[in-house]
Amino acid sequence: MQPATAPPAPRSTRTTPAIEVTDLRRSYGDFEAVRGISFEVQPGEVLALLGVNGAGKTSALEVLEGLAPAGGGTVRVLGLDPVRDRARVRRELGVLLQTSGLPGDLTVAETLRTWAGTLTAPRPVQEALAQVSLTGRADVRVRSLSGGERRRLDLALALLGRPSVVVLDEPTTGLDPESRRQVWELVQGLVADGAAVLLTTHHLEEAEVLADRVAVMRSGQVVLSGTQAEIAETQPATVRFVLDDDAPQPPVPAGVQVVSTGRRVEWQTGSLQPVLAELLAWAAQHGVVLRTLLARAGSLEQAFLAVADGAHPAVATTPEENR
Amino acid sequence: MTAATTTTTTTTPATATATGGPSRWSRVRSLAAAETRLLLRNRTALVNSVVLPLLLVAAVPVLGAGEDGVALGPLLLQAAVGITLIYLTYYNLVTTYVARREDLVLQRMRTGELTGTEVLAATAAPTLLITVGQLAVVAVGVLALGEWTAPADVVLPVVGVLAGILLMVLLAAASTSFTRTPESAQITTLPIVLVNTALSGLLYPISVFPDWLATVARLLPVTPVIELVQLGLAGTTWDGETVSGGDLWAAALQPAAVLAVWLVVAGVAAARGFRWAPRR
Repeated sequence: MQPATAPPAPRSTRTTPAIEVTDLRRSYGDFEAVRGISFEVQPGEVLALLGVNGAGKTSALEVLEGLAPAGGGTVRVLGLDPVRDRARVRRELGVLLQTSGLPGDLTVAETLRTWAGTLTAPRPVQEALAQVSLTGRADVRVRSLSGGERRRLDLALALLGRPSVVVLDEPTTGLDPESRRQVWELVQGLVADGAAVLLTTHHLEEAEVLADRVAVMRSGQVVLSGTQAEIAETQPATVRFVLDDDAPQPPVPAGVQVVSTGRRVEWQTGSLQPVLAELLAWAAQHGVVLRTLLARAGSLEQAFLAVADGAHPAVATTPEENR
Repeated sequence: MTAATTTTTTTTPATATATGGPSRWSRVRSLAAAETRLLLRNRTALVNSVVLPLLLVAAVPVLGAGEDGVALGPLLLQAAVGITLIYLTYYNLVTTYVARREDLVLQRMRTGELTGTEVLAATAAPTLLITVGQLAVVAVGVLALGEWTAPADVVLPVVGVLAGILLMVLLAAASTSFTRTPESAQITTLPIVLVNTALSGLLYPISVFPDWLATVARLLPVTPVIELVQLGLAGTTWDGETVSGGDLWAAALQPAAVLAVWLVVAGVAAARGFRWAPRR
């Protein structure tokens, strides 16, 4: 039990990040699922942890949630250890597991009331119902809910204790587009109120809409992290166009990697503007029409796919690549 | 710092914890109430829990026990203790814990403010309530039959039953480590159920066994509970000797020690073997 004089969790101290993960490692037997990752989440900020299945996202979150011990490194939630300072951390922490179950024979309202009864400072059940638009379903048994409704109920439970740190493991998987948008608004509301949110997702759109910063995981490591713009900048821009049959081939500007040539041309480049200028000047000079011309800067999606393929340069430089 | 003003329960400040909010007891009760509601909504489980153990106890006189001069009242009660502990407390809890684990409910509950022990205690609550209720029903039945005799000692049976209930909870938690589904609990619980039913002296005295078997039987988990109940209610030891006063307590030492060792063993096994989530 905490002494009565214990200070409240330092929820708004500027110097303490809401979540601080340093060189976290976690193994199952010989398999190292998390291989030394570090990141921070500040109050009022959303960090999206991206990665294909098996990248180690959930394994990392379980340590943060206090459900599993760290194999190495440290994890702090509001400056506290999730296992040692469990009672204080749990009061401030809202968790949505990737897959979780609720008893099917309780109604929605009963489920919320039960959960509320276990919390220090729950929000009113009516408010929680309204939050996830389940007010009209309050007296329905959980068994009869649709998958999306059940996910929203689960989310309401995660937020029932008014957490200042929220961990959402794939919050919108299985939700229809409208519910997904609603969940996004809910998360944005939490953040506006000063909560720190860590979420995993494979919906890139979700990361784009919600995340202040993104960390991309692959094989247990964070291979890319930063703001969306920073991550997009790591990727080359694409130039693509179609030439008429009788058109000459354009000269390849410096700093261009040719992806395909012939009638359908695709280039990749780190300096889009000069390459494009050179191409357009050449086309004007020779009277060539560049059909369906497309010029696109690097994107988060591109970075994600590159990491997933193992093609990203940052991945090639990682020390060991043992399966 | 507390936001306990939103608390709707009538906890007194004395029982509230230093961290604020409802007391631990009130938090556990919230989940225990939900579990009880779940049991009441599951007719099959309810019938199995309430009717079957009582039928078994009712069969005891039919089986011809109680001939050897042992009073029927204590005999029925000690049979009821053994049968409810094994078939209701132990078996029900293995099934319930495994079902909640496989449905991912335990893992969900463990992300909240309740501790793991509190989640397990709350989940066990309805089973424990029925266990105590069953014993009360049999006791009333014995009274109604006019078979009630003044017990030699009340502390021994009460302590024995409470320790027995705790032991069943721990054994059930430990048994979940080798039980993959609620259905397979019917098989994985068989060793403990059969051995204890046959050798605990709950249907017939273990003094009927050869010496070596009786010695082994007295080391089983449920036997010491039966011994303590029998000592207290009938004032007789496992081999039929009538004792009283200091001898009564001296005779209680061995079963109490066996029970204590089992509590430790089962506690360690439960702590090490219990899993909160299904195997991936």
